[in-house]
Amino acid sequence: MWRKIKWGIWIVLAILVASFLHYTLPQHDVVRITNTYNRLTTVGENWMFYASPDTGTAEGTQTRDIRFIEAAFEDDTVIVYRNEDTGWVWPPYFKYDSSNLQAEATNLESTREVPKWVSVTHYGWRFPFLSIYPNAVSVKVVSGPDYSAWNWVSTIILIALAFIIFMVRRMWLQFWERAVDPAIDAVDARADAARDSARGFFGRIGAWMSTWRRKA
Amino acid sequence: MIGILRLALFGFVALTITYVLVSIYSRSVRREKLEKSYDSGEATQDIPDDIKPDRESFVAAGMEAYEKGLKRRLIWLVYVVPTVALAATVYLVNYQ
Repeated sequence: MWRKIKWGIWIVLAILVASFLHYTLPQHDVVRITNTYNRLTTVGENWMFYASPDTGTAEGTQTRDIRFIEAAFEDDTVIVYRNEDTGWVWPPYFKYDSSNLQAEATNLESTREVPKWVSVTHYGWRFPFLSIYPNAVSVKVVSGPDYSAWNWVSTIILIALAFIIFMVRRMWLQFWERAVDPAIDAVDARADAARDSARGFFGRIGAWMSTWRRKA
Repeated sequence: MIGILRLALFGFVALTITYVLVSIYSRSVRREKLEKSYDSGEATQDIPDDIKPDRESFVAAGMEAYEKGLKRRLIWLVYVVPTVALAATVYLVNYQ
């Protein structure tokens, strides 16, 4: 029972961490851009999936003008990106050129008949029922719809995170080995000494006598 | 504009905490290594017995060498690497 609960907690934690990373790390889509526009958007309960209000997009209001980029994949499924500054807040993309990005995206608009394929770097998810959109970070013209590239940035970040976790663990173990365990030993030794002296004269004689008793 | 100042401030505080913790860790690892190499007798086996240092002064001398060494200075990378990564991100995201 407890084992199962423990496993359940671990699995939930792993899913949370994995989805957090999947949301935050950059990914590439090869698409053609079909439309770019901005529209007044009311950000309500899904605020977590939009830029923080103090990055320059808006101040102190729930409704703001947000830039969007519409695009289509080769198989004609569609995707809508938002294009918001992240500024100097989370997630750490330090993006403040969303106007330029919008202009680049508009410049790369193409039709189904004469497609111009671009790789859109983005983070985030498209969930229609939450009205959330991935945030486009950059666009790049690529050779064709079959273009694919290894996601180096995410690879490096994941390796760096693994290294940090490894180092934190080693530092923690070192701290226990060198600082906490000796302190506990010292406390134990003091406790033993205290117990010995608390026994008093007869107590110690009793202890000595008991060493003569035959072991059962 | 206030955002970048806030990031710089919190980043500096966080990196300073990291720097201090890494320094303590690195020093502790070095001390443990010195103690073990003294205890195994390998480090002092070529020194004649009459001038052999005791454990405490052996470790103290080793720690002094460590404080001046390259490894100690490499801990400054705790500040350098995140700053370079931030600058690279800003460049790649906004100026490419």
